[in-house]
Amino acid sequence: MFLHNLKYSLKTLFKNRMLIFWTYAFPLILGTFFYLAFSNIENSEKFDVIDIAIVNNEQFNDNMVLKESFNVLGDEESDEQLFNIKYVDLEEAIKLLENDEVSGYLVVDESPKVVVKTSGTSETILKYVTEEIIQNENVLANIIEEKLNTNIIDGNINEYIENIRDDALKMLDMNSLEIRDITSKKLSYTMIEFYTLIAMTALYGGIIGMTAINQNLANMSDNGKRIAVSPTNKIKIIFSSLVSSFIIQVIGLFILFMYTIFVLKVDYGNNLLLIILLALFGSLAGLSLGMAVGTILKTNENVKIGIIISFTMLGSFLSGMMGITMKYIIDTNIPLVNKLNPVNMITDGLYSLYYYNTYNRVYFNVVSLLIFSLIMIVLSGLALRRQKYDSI
Amino acid sequence: MTVFKTFLQVLNKYKATVIMYTVMLVAFCGLNFQTSESNINFTASKPDVLIINEGEEIGITKAFIDYLDERTNVKDIKNDEESINDALFYRDVNYIVYIKPNFRDSILDNSSNPSEQFEKYISSVDRTIIEIKTTGDYQASIADMLVKKYLNLVDIYSRTYEDEDEIIKHINETLSLEVDTELTSKVDTNTLSRVTFYYNFLSYSVLAGCVYVICLILSSFKNKEINKRTIISSMDYKKFNMKLLLSNCLFAGILWLVYVALEFVLVGSVPNGYLIIYLTNSFIFTICSVTIAFLISNLINNKNAINGIVNVVALGSSFLCGAFVPMEWLPDFALTIAHILPSYWYIKTNELLKGVEVFNSVSLEPIIINMLILIVFIIVFVILTNIVTKLKLKK
Amino acid sequence: MKPILSVENLTKKYKNFIAVDDLSFNVNKGEILGLLGPNGSGKSTTINCILSLLNFESGKITIFNKEMQPNAYDIKKDIGVVFQEVAVFEELTVFDNIDYFCGLYIKDKTLRKKYIEDAIKLVGLEEFKKFYPKQLSGGLLRRLNIACGIAHKPKLIFLDEPTVAVDPQSRNNILDGIKKLRDNGATIIYTTHYMEEVEILCDRVIIIDKGKIIASGTNDELKELSKIEEKVTVEIDNLDDKVLDEIKQFKNVDEATYNSGILFITYKKGKNNLSSLIDYLKKADIHYDKIYSERPTLNDVFLYLTGKELRD
Repeated sequence: MFLHNLKYSLKTLFKNRMLIFWTYAFPLILGTFFYLAFSNIENSEKFDVIDIAIVNNEQFNDNMVLKESFNVLGDEESDEQLFNIKYVDLEEAIKLLENDEVSGYLVVDESPKVVVKTSGTSETILKYVTEEIIQNENVLANIIEEKLNTNIIDGNINEYIENIRDDALKMLDMNSLEIRDITSKKLSYTMIEFYTLIAMTALYGGIIGMTAINQNLANMSDNGKRIAVSPTNKIKIIFSSLVSSFIIQVIGLFILFMYTIFVLKVDYGNNLLLIILLALFGSLAGLSLGMAVGTILKTNENVKIGIIISFTMLGSFLSGMMGITMKYIIDTNIPLVNKLNPVNMITDGLYSLYYYNTYNRVYFNVVSLLIFSLIMIVLSGLALRRQKYDSI
Repeated sequence: MTVFKTFLQVLNKYKATVIMYTVMLVAFCGLNFQTSESNINFTASKPDVLIINEGEEIGITKAFIDYLDERTNVKDIKNDEESINDALFYRDVNYIVYIKPNFRDSILDNSSNPSEQFEKYISSVDRTIIEIKTTGDYQASIADMLVKKYLNLVDIYSRTYEDEDEIIKHINETLSLEVDTELTSKVDTNTLSRVTFYYNFLSYSVLAGCVYVICLILSSFKNKEINKRTIISSMDYKKFNMKLLLSNCLFAGILWLVYVALEFVLVGSVPNGYLIIYLTNSFIFTICSVTIAFLISNLINNKNAINGIVNVVALGSSFLCGAFVPMEWLPDFALTIAHILPSYWYIKTNELLKGVEVFNSVSLEPIIINMLILIVFIIVFVILTNIVTKLKLKK
Repeated sequence: MKPILSVENLTKKYKNFIAVDDLSFNVNKGEILGLLGPNGSGKSTTINCILSLLNFESGKITIFNKEMQPNAYDIKKDIGVVFQEVAVFEELTVFDNIDYFCGLYIKDKTLRKKYIEDAIKLVGLEEFKKFYPKQLSGGLLRRLNIACGIAHKPKLIFLDEPTVAVDPQSRNNILDGIKKLRDNGATIIYTTHYMEEVEILCDRVIIIDKGKIIASGTNDELKELSKIEEKVTVEIDNLDDKVLDEIKQFKNVDEATYNSGILFITYKKGKNNLSSLIDYLKKADIHYDKIYSERPTLNDVFLYLTGKELRD
């Protein structure tokens, strides 16, 4: 009986175009959108060379420190290049700024001045860099003064100052105090998008479970009535239908993994096996959600599908599908919402697998998923215990 | 009246989904705008920085923290490693500074004698006084620049002066030297970018809401419509169609009004000139969404497929055209594809508007062209709908 | 001989509405029992209660001498049900649909295959084995619906309005099939609101209205209840009220009415009525067009018992 129902359950589910769309095609389409939208995002956020203009007037050319410093900072050959500099006259500089071809320009009158259009990041960097050059001059002056005050001069005073100046310049370059960058190398938040996609796919599996169960229940479908009058154990049939739904879900996830890994070139890292395991737990949660919606709610199948889709989309939204900030805001401000959100349980589990080296948070999410599934299964079980109905 | 009544009944049945799209809009935009200061004078970008001071907050350490406090946006985050790491991952902070316990001592211990320094250097004593974590983006670069600059100054002055107070005094004196910065644009870009952000996301809610509701309503009417066609005269049938169209436009109009009102509540108002363009643009887009919905409902007979179509059309347009992700971050090939979608032109106008300082023929021209393109889209969709209907009748 | 199925004092309420009201009847082996009643009279509810699909307030259902329960699998294995709604999988072919439902009863694959072939032959779907339900016309779909319910050769078959909205050809095919099932030894309970079907098919009829049995017996027994033996219809252009009054006084006449050119007379006894009417009309020199005589139908019985038509 188990195998007989399994065979036909698989057959009917596979031929249900609507189901296959939501569980197989839609995640692939959405994944492609993500790929198109996010493939560039992290590169464009990375620090890049800033376009600026410098008014090439007499005052600027006379200021050797400024001129030299910007010459170095604008050197295209150098790894340290910070600016892409256009040396122009004032009129041209104003025009370039107006047309957004440069972030700002530097003009030296009595003192240097930075002119920008808006208060942005590039503009701030230009301001700070110019400031640093001026400040370094001040540092040099201070050091020279101090040395002159404390040391007794012998020989040529100019030569002496020149020496101190050289020493001081060396000191500016040589930093004896160390900074160590301890950033984890895995900061790609595009991954979150693909994690929400996996989570969404897992929960959409609920539609399959719901459809399969609906076909088994006398109060939900006419086919269910036939099963109810046949000499078979309802629970056995339902279990077999759930197994077939799970098989279809897993195939859907498999296709999604294949597509994202081989076509979209998503790098899931070393933890692929654990990721797949978590996705399977997620599918179980989806299946049990579908089971609960299928057995408890008494409306037509389309409404039920609508409920599962809306629930999943909202859950995906809260766990960062349309922008990861959403997940962080919910996590920090209303953590309970995301602790109860099964989409986030999967997303968060995958995130912590990716970002953290410890597994505590993954286990927490796995346990949450199991509890969620269990609650759904128990609720369904209560509804399924009924053998007869008040109305059908 | 019966058409309208039935329309309301059907709408009532599917209201949950429309509410969901609205909640998403409110949640997305409401939660994303936490600060709301406007800016007309140049204000340096302040990266979000987290300072973890592992030593005592005195002397040079305190001076360093004060320095960062003044120039960055120092965040207050629960002091456990997981919260901190989450904050970095989700870009709540761009830069984390761990001030090691030996920070102050190492600085005060700094010697001006180069050979002594060299010895320290090779004696493999851990000389790290700062550890950092960075997201590596523009904001983080600013923080990085600030931290490095300070350490440079500390380094050089600690080798020049002995006394801690004197070191701090000279550092502050040097830092007080600033460059004049002139801001040419007097537009309140802060508010404008938030309004633009809102209207960009609105394209998703409007498109999804319109296509979903209108497709379902039209398919609900389809059966009844066929009955009516046989019962009543052709004149009445046209009237019936008109009423249906009006009902749908009315729904879209109300949706638009609600969203516009929400904008005022969530974000606040902008100068009149901008407001008119935002409103016109979003209104044209709403009409465009209605025509898209009509076209789709004529192409698709299967009521069950509507949910799928809505999600693919609305999410696709939104991801590809920059409703969720700012347009300037999208790869070129995505933007190229996006040209064939109405959302692209709608969002483009919003983005252009953000940078407009004065309204003149030069600044308005591209905006008007974009709106005209949207109107062309509307006409094309109407024509396509008619062609599809005719082809179906022939069958 | 004990009845195959016995229903005792069955009562079922939907909230405050009493759908089945203290119903009792027996079904004997080998007969076709017709449950006749208008839409909403409680026929389907009765069947669903018998099958343990619905809870009911009171009553006792015994099938094959055992009490019917949701898990009485030994009873269920010999029951076949054809529901009013077409209950098949859109995604499966004709053959697969029958195989699925038959497989719930018959585990042996070779036996099942033979049974399916028999069922397909019985309903005449041999040429459509590989078709999907969407490709079938309404009548063929109904036949498939029946095949799914009876392929496992049950001893007791419930057919709940199996011919609703079916073309005449399919209807004849279905009715023939049902007779064959009976001839093969099955006992059949057949609900319908088409009295013609009951007259052709059923050995015994129970008429239900508002959840109550209002009459039962063989066709002839029921017809006697109506107290009418003949109905005569005459088309006459003009008829005086005086003539009508005279006709009413004729021998055997139960009632006579004249409405928009149609004279309609019912007789208590069915002998020599037509000829005496014709004689009278000739004598009175009344011109008439068509004239015909009928035996009473179950509809007349229903009309007589409830004061309303069977079909609304």
